[in-house]
Amino acid sequence: MSRLPFLFIFTGIFGFVMFQAASLFQLFDWLDEGIRGQSGWFHVHLFVLGWATMLAMGAIYQLINVILQSTVFSEKLGYIHYTLFTIGLTGLLFGFIKAEIYWIAAFATLLLIGILVFAFNMTLTLIRAKKWDAITISSACAVLYLVLTGLSGMAMGLNFATGIWIDYHENLFGAHIWLGTIGWFGLLITGFSYKMLPMFYLSHDYSTKPQTAILLLWNAAVIVGALSFLLGSGFWMKWIALLLLAAAIVVYNIHMQQIKKHRHKRNPGTGIKWAVYVSQALAVTVIGMLIYTFFNPEQLLDTRTVIFAGWLYLSGWVSLTILGYASKIIPFLWWTHKYGKHAGKPGNPVLADLLNESKVNVWMAAMSVISLFVLVGLATGSDLVITAASAILAVLSLVYIFLISRVFTR
Amino acid sequence: MNTTEQLREMLKEVYDPELGVNIVDLGLVYNVREEADGIYVQMTLTTPGCPLHDTITGGVKWVLSQKTDKEKIEVDIVWEPRWSPAMMSEAAKDVLGYF
Repeated sequence: MSRLPFLFIFTGIFGFVMFQAASLFQLFDWLDEGIRGQSGWFHVHLFVLGWATMLAMGAIYQLINVILQSTVFSEKLGYIHYTLFTIGLTGLLFGFIKAEIYWIAAFATLLLIGILVFAFNMTLTLIRAKKWDAITISSACAVLYLVLTGLSGMAMGLNFATGIWIDYHENLFGAHIWLGTIGWFGLLITGFSYKMLPMFYLSHDYSTKPQTAILLLWNAAVIVGALSFLLGSGFWMKWIALLLLAAAIVVYNIHMQQIKKHRHKRNPGTGIKWAVYVSQALAVTVIGMLIYTFFNPEQLLDTRTVIFAGWLYLSGWVSLTILGYASKIIPFLWWTHKYGKHAGKPGNPVLADLLNESKVNVWMAAMSVISLFVLVGLATGSDLVITAASAILAVLSLVYIFLISRVFTR
Repeated sequence: MNTTEQLREMLKEVYDPELGVNIVDLGLVYNVREEADGIYVQMTLTTPGCPLHDTITGGVKWVLSQKTDKEKIEVDIVWEPRWSPAMMSEAAKDVLGYF
């Protein structure tokens, strides 16, 4: 069995622990300070690249066979990707702490080359598999948006060093965030869910038509949103992008309910149930934001709204979904590695023996509830609530990831 | 010479580790027979690209090679007819909470 998923997943867990520990150490001051400073850059990139992207890439290498029924084009390129990406990210984070512009530039370049190697490997894997459905197209779009996120980040870095496109810096900044969050994570999570959810629910004979609608709406949201930032458009174009995104999320939730309705297994696993719940919460909150910003257009790009939306989407949806899925894919990975060759032998554990589901339920519930408190703090501007709730969330997250990591000792 | 029924009984020791149900009760085994030089198994999986593909086929080979005197075990994974939940035994439905 390939060691690639292990490398990415172990490093992702390390990144998650580092983020929570670093944030706890500073009592989440970086959230109060706004995200556009050294500390903000460091924490956001550690979270987004060191945790969420690292684990997502591990999951891609693990699940590519499941999605495409074909192996990855080159495992060697996968190791090169891991090396470039990890060294690039480590140097970039160090550069953010030290505010060393040339250090940042050098390691950001390594990081981008790592992403390009990944994109090249995935493109050839997809071309070879010749399997084009909503799952593979979503994954391909996600990788494309990741590349565009990296390129826009590099353009911003060049701006800092040379001032060449200084007038367009804000435009690039908005597009960079939108492409990375909504484009990369959004299409990857939804695309993989089309396969993962039916597999864990053992669902059959459900309609896959909503997948096409979600794919179109989500891509439209990404493109309209990114263009609105790049062209410096006003309120309406950004609001329409939010409307398209809200529509995509609603259809995604409807599709998840259809999959659930056609299930043949009562319990898909606690982590999967929570991934569904947080998607429902995302839908409700995004609709709320859509209505709120319609009547308060000046609030759409207000710093507090942006931080609220960023936290809701990244910590509330992306990260909790990944944590939920991790409770299934990590035991799967470990069981296959350790016990797969001995299937059928008496005394072999089943997957459920590797992780205590009721504990997963307790910690996922606790993290979700405390995440709501962080959002309340951000919405009301209460520093006390933000600090207290995010510190509790960090502790809960560390306990949860410890619980998941114990699978590797079974 | 093992009968088909005996071979199917042996295969009940191979479990889908995610579902916790053996592959015979899941309805994954379409055909199993002893031939002159080995054993032939035609089976499917619950979904194409199932991550337990190698694990389950490995388990089938291991169990049959241990419980019979045959060394050549051929496992043929097919996607037609497509597996459906209706193929599960009542025992499997009970375990999964099928309703």
